[in-house]
Amino acid sequence: MKDGRIVTGDELLESDTTLECDVCIIGSGSGGAWLAHELCAAGKDVVMLEEGGYHTRREFDLTEAHVYPKLYQELGNRATDDLSITMLQGRSVGGSTTVNWCSSFRTPERILKIWREQHGCEALTPQTLDPHWAAAEKRLHIAEWPEALINRNNRILWEGLGKLGYDRGLIRRNVNGCANLGYCGLGCPIDAKQSMGVTVLPDAVEKGLRLFANVSVRRLETQGKKVTRVVADVLDPQTDRKSGRSFTVKAKATAVCGGAVNSPALLLRSGLDAEGRVGARTWLHPVVVMLSEFAEPVNAFSGAPQSVYSHQFIERGEGKMGFFLEVPPVHPMLASVVSTGMGAQLQSFLGRLPYVNAMIAIVVDGLLPHETGGTVRLRDSGYGRHSISYDFVPQFWEAARTACREMARLQFAAGAKRVHSLHQTPLTLESEADLGKLDQAEWEKIKVRVVSAHLMGGCAMGKDASKSVVDPQLRFHGLDNLFVVDGSVFPTSLGVNPQLTIFGLARWASQHVAAAV
Amino acid sequence: METRRTLLKRGLLGTALLALGSGVTLAFRHSKLVDLPPEGLLVLGKKEYAVVDAIARRVLSPAPGAPTVDDLRIAFTCDRILALTDETSQVEMRQLLELFENALTGFLFGGRVTPFTRLDPERQDAVLDEWRRSNVELRRTGYLAVRSLVVSAYYGDPRTWPSVGYPGPPAAFVDPNAPVWKGGGEPRPPGPGVWVEP
Repeated sequence: MKDGRIVTGDELLESDTTLECDVCIIGSGSGGAWLAHELCAAGKDVVMLEEGGYHTRREFDLTEAHVYPKLYQELGNRATDDLSITMLQGRSVGGSTTVNWCSSFRTPERILKIWREQHGCEALTPQTLDPHWAAAEKRLHIAEWPEALINRNNRILWEGLGKLGYDRGLIRRNVNGCANLGYCGLGCPIDAKQSMGVTVLPDAVEKGLRLFANVSVRRLETQGKKVTRVVADVLDPQTDRKSGRSFTVKAKATAVCGGAVNSPALLLRSGLDAEGRVGARTWLHPVVVMLSEFAEPVNAFSGAPQSVYSHQFIERGEGKMGFFLEVPPVHPMLASVVSTGMGAQLQSFLGRLPYVNAMIAIVVDGLLPHETGGTVRLRDSGYGRHSISYDFVPQFWEAARTACREMARLQFAAGAKRVHSLHQTPLTLESEADLGKLDQAEWEKIKVRVVSAHLMGGCAMGKDASKSVVDPQLRFHGLDNLFVVDGSVFPTSLGVNPQLTIFGLARWASQHVAAAV
Repeated sequence: METRRTLLKRGLLGTALLALGSGVTLAFRHSKLVDLPPEGLLVLGKKEYAVVDAIARRVLSPAPGAPTVDDLRIAFTCDRILALTDETSQVEMRQLLELFENALTGFLFGGRVTPFTRLDPERQDAVLDEWRRSNVELRRTGYLAVRSLVVSAYYGDPRTWPSVGYPGPPAAFVDPNAPVWKGGGEPRPPGPGVWVEP
């Protein structure tokens, strides 16, 4: 065993720490963790820098007000500038895998085919990726969640899908010894969730990884065709503010693994904008939500959050955006923020929290030819904040309206007494006869709640350097030793929850990063 | 600076709104202030604090027997939540609260010349409703921002959980003394994350 180590900001007391290594990895989420693991296993000397803190299960008290500021980007408030889309994205050692809901899907072949045929990523075949997915699935105990254990919130979707004769399936989850608590989004208190922070990262540390938490990379310095220095600030773990101490890494190769939004933002801060393509074409899998009330308790805060899905509407024909169906957990603080209305109306709804079922439709963006999606740009001030915008196309609103209608049908089919949309002017359906109300509703941004938990794109991979940011081996076009290895390289969204795609892609890409050392 | 202010300038009525927010206020229309917390404020000024307090009293309608806005000191909690955010967010929120309160802004949009804090509750509800339904994107965004702030301050407090039927998290599974492993040659404690060959 080599002496790798996890070091936190409070241990970095020098005014500047400078290290040399083979590979510097920026970000410890699903991409960075697997990349670090494979490089360490291949004998490379790897330094990883993570802006978030090293939070372990002893801190996971499952209380929303404590967790969102600690484990999520921008204290849980990441959003487009106009607040039309609120985003949940993790920020700690382990990245979003610390707080995601464990859903694990391999990349659909139809998406890989688009990446191969339209973006020149010819190596990305199921055959190439199969062994990498298989390794991740084995290490992370990824397996289908037994139907007998699905919670009432998921069972409502399951039963609704069955009654309407729609496609349905059980979700594979990365858990080992799961107690079915329902708090995956708040950090697993028993380490049953096989997040990067308790699995692949400690494995890599045992293989020599030096992981520095509370270290926020500010810029990459380049000379000629090489990144020469990674320049960072050490953050105070207590306040998350700059400590005044700096951190510098000189590496033979550098991999940016901060995820969509943060990876393009770092490149932009470093003057690497690929003629405006960095930060462009960011895909969010925008989500619309329908809430329903049942006569019997649903207790959607309890039990594995996501265990049932439907791909019934994933492909809806040319010119239309597809969507897939799942459910989210319902905890009081998030429910109060995401729900609409105020005063007695708000309290009346939240007062029935245990009886509330929530259903989500996740819209597959980035597949229509004219879509531009989201754009990430820098702000002149705001240490961790970026400017994010999203261009909603009319086809999105058509998909959202159709999805809400279908979700309401599923909820009524499963026995819902009442269904609510998340329009800012709250809309309530008392029965299927009211479905027409949805057609009359205002389908415009900020007039109906749209959220996202799948941030992708912004550093698209592709063969054509005039249309992409990184090449098909994930190397930044024009630089020899800079790679981007995370969900930001997706040229489109996926149509499935993204973590397993990133695991496989990072594990596969490690060979190319290793070859650059 | 890419703040809400510059975003505003691009929007409908943005320049006019900004001019109002910048000082051409109906200055003689004073805000109705509330008692400040003895601990002091970290982000909000006394006028902004009063606006948050007034908004919280309209957005939140605690169930009978549930903690009140005063019990939970919601405006104070909001100040402390904002203190965790970056400086840009703090500036933007203060600008937004100024726009809510500003009498001339109110006049432009709704014909009111009374600051928000001096309106009676029904009129305050109507103003919030105007912001929520507005055709000006900034106002819809502003409504969402202040609403999110006060509801998260209230429903994030465990003392409100009984009022929504939430039993709270399963505390028996939380171990504040669980070991923290950092490597450095130390053996890794056994646990579900450690790989064991099947």
